[in-house]
Amino acid sequence: MNILTIENLSKNYGKIQALQQVSFTVPKGTVYGVLGPNGSGKTTMLGIVMDVLKSSGGGFKLFDEMPNDSHRKRIGTLLETPNFYHYLSAVQNLKIAAKIKQRGEDDIDRVLDLVGLTQRKNSPFSSYSLGMKQRLAIGSALLGNPEVLVLDEPTNGLDPVGIAEIRTLIMSLANQGKTIIMASHMLDEVEKVCTHVAILKYGKLIASGDVNEILVNEDVVELATSNLDLLKNILTSFPNTLSLQIKDKFVQMNLPQGTANMEDINKFCFERNIVLSHLQLKKKSLETKFLELTN
Amino acid sequence: MLELLKIEWLKLKNYKAFLIIGIFFIIGIFVTNYMVLTVFNKMVDKTEAGMLLGKFMPYDFKHVWQTTSYTSGYILILPVMLLIMLVTNEFTFKTNRQNIIDGMSRLDFIHVKIALATLFAMISTIFVIVTGFALASTTGTEFSLHGFSHVGYFFLKAISYNYFAVFLSVLIKRTGFAIGVYFIYMSAENIISQLLDVWSMKIKVDSKLDLGSLGSYLPMNASDSLLSFPENPLKSMAKSAFPTDYHYLTISIAVFFVVLFYWFSRSIILKKDL
Repeated sequence: MNILTIENLSKNYGKIQALQQVSFTVPKGTVYGVLGPNGSGKTTMLGIVMDVLKSSGGGFKLFDEMPNDSHRKRIGTLLETPNFYHYLSAVQNLKIAAKIKQRGEDDIDRVLDLVGLTQRKNSPFSSYSLGMKQRLAIGSALLGNPEVLVLDEPTNGLDPVGIAEIRTLIMSLANQGKTIIMASHMLDEVEKVCTHVAILKYGKLIASGDVNEILVNEDVVELATSNLDLLKNILTSFPNTLSLQIKDKFVQMNLPQGTANMEDINKFCFERNIVLSHLQLKKKSLETKFLELTN
Repeated sequence: MLELLKIEWLKLKNYKAFLIIGIFFIIGIFVTNYMVLTVFNKMVDKTEAGMLLGKFMPYDFKHVWQTTSYTSGYILILPVMLLIMLVTNEFTFKTNRQNIIDGMSRLDFIHVKIALATLFAMISTIFVIVTGFALASTTGTEFSLHGFSHVGYFFLKAISYNYFAVFLSVLIKRTGFAIGVYFIYMSAENIISQLLDVWSMKIKVDSKLDLGSLGSYLPMNASDSLLSFPENPLKSMAKSAFPTDYHYLTISIAVFFVVLFYWFSRSIILKKDL
């Protein structure tokens, strides 16, 4: 079963195209990252799915059905900012959320404990710090133990300890078989947590699928000798070579992550009568990959 | 709907403004009417105007429903302010989004606000009835429901005011701004309605065309004009060649605007980005 199917979804704000013909599918049981820089349309897309924004074109399905209100009751959602009644406490706010979701109030203490707000559960929301507000929003999303979670920038405003806690929490939820859709502009967050990823840029989907295929990490080796063309030709027969290209004064060779062995490469070339004047292993950072994808 | 109202109650019951405005409202209705009663009691037999009034007593059972309905109309601004605060709060806190995200339908979201506006009007009307009964009982006159239709007009007026408040709130979304626009609009409509009333009189005199008081066909003034202080010798003296009071037309216009405000509010919530 697919949890969310997005088909040619578009949204414009006047002349600005916030989303352009975006399509992808979130299968059940995946942790699906929606990755993109600020203003790429992540929140707009999730806002349309949650019926707080109206699409300008295209559509979507939830649980393989035409979307309706009862679907949203089955999904725990944190969208953009924590939205609560400022004059009410955490417990009073969660009672309202529980009532709308048609779930009992008996789960409130559990979720407040999960996000570490038990001690402050009776203080008014207006007295909370940014991080506590974010924790409450995550707690609210977890209310009633929903099978699907939609988390938009879940670690926003949290301190490093909080970020680690929430990531652990998300991973443990994923291990329980829940489907999680997580929007983030932080690549390492998506890489650490997600099984699938969709990358948005200026409202366009530029890639989507298995995280290991999209955000593949490679070893990059730079080699140089007097005759670069010859070197490149010879290296085509080196085992596991993914790609080869001549860049300035080097040949750049890409190999699967962790397989590049400098001794082997040097020996391979020397046996074929090529003496290398330069040999260097360069780890390609995820950030480079992200920039490559989004630029 | 009951479940939806229970959700609204959770938002209301710990809201300080609700408590404060609620208390002021109840006291306000009673005190305003009590003051009018006291003034009349003091005037009778003691002043020149009192002599002219003769045996007219606004709070005997024959007049009380009209008097209380008319006088209490001025206090309706309090539930209006509370409603504006409650509805615009949702936009300020972005809880309108959160309610929808959590699974409330957009239609339910606006319907429960309309229900709240209706409920406030009903509660206001009940207070008017209780206050009227209590004050009339002190006059020692015989119980009567004479002029009880004015309580109905009061309810219509409360509904008009409250629905307009909901409409302005979903349109403007900012608390202070919405309250400001409400006051400015009310004053502007009053001025325009008075100009229109003068104009209607002129039309009546010039062309014998009796259109009624045109000013009472405006959204808020329609229900306002249904309520007036009871007929009395003083008032009759001031009465001149007023145009005919087309009662049912005025009621229809008031109801028409109530429906219009409901429809506008509903369309805004259903169709716009939240």
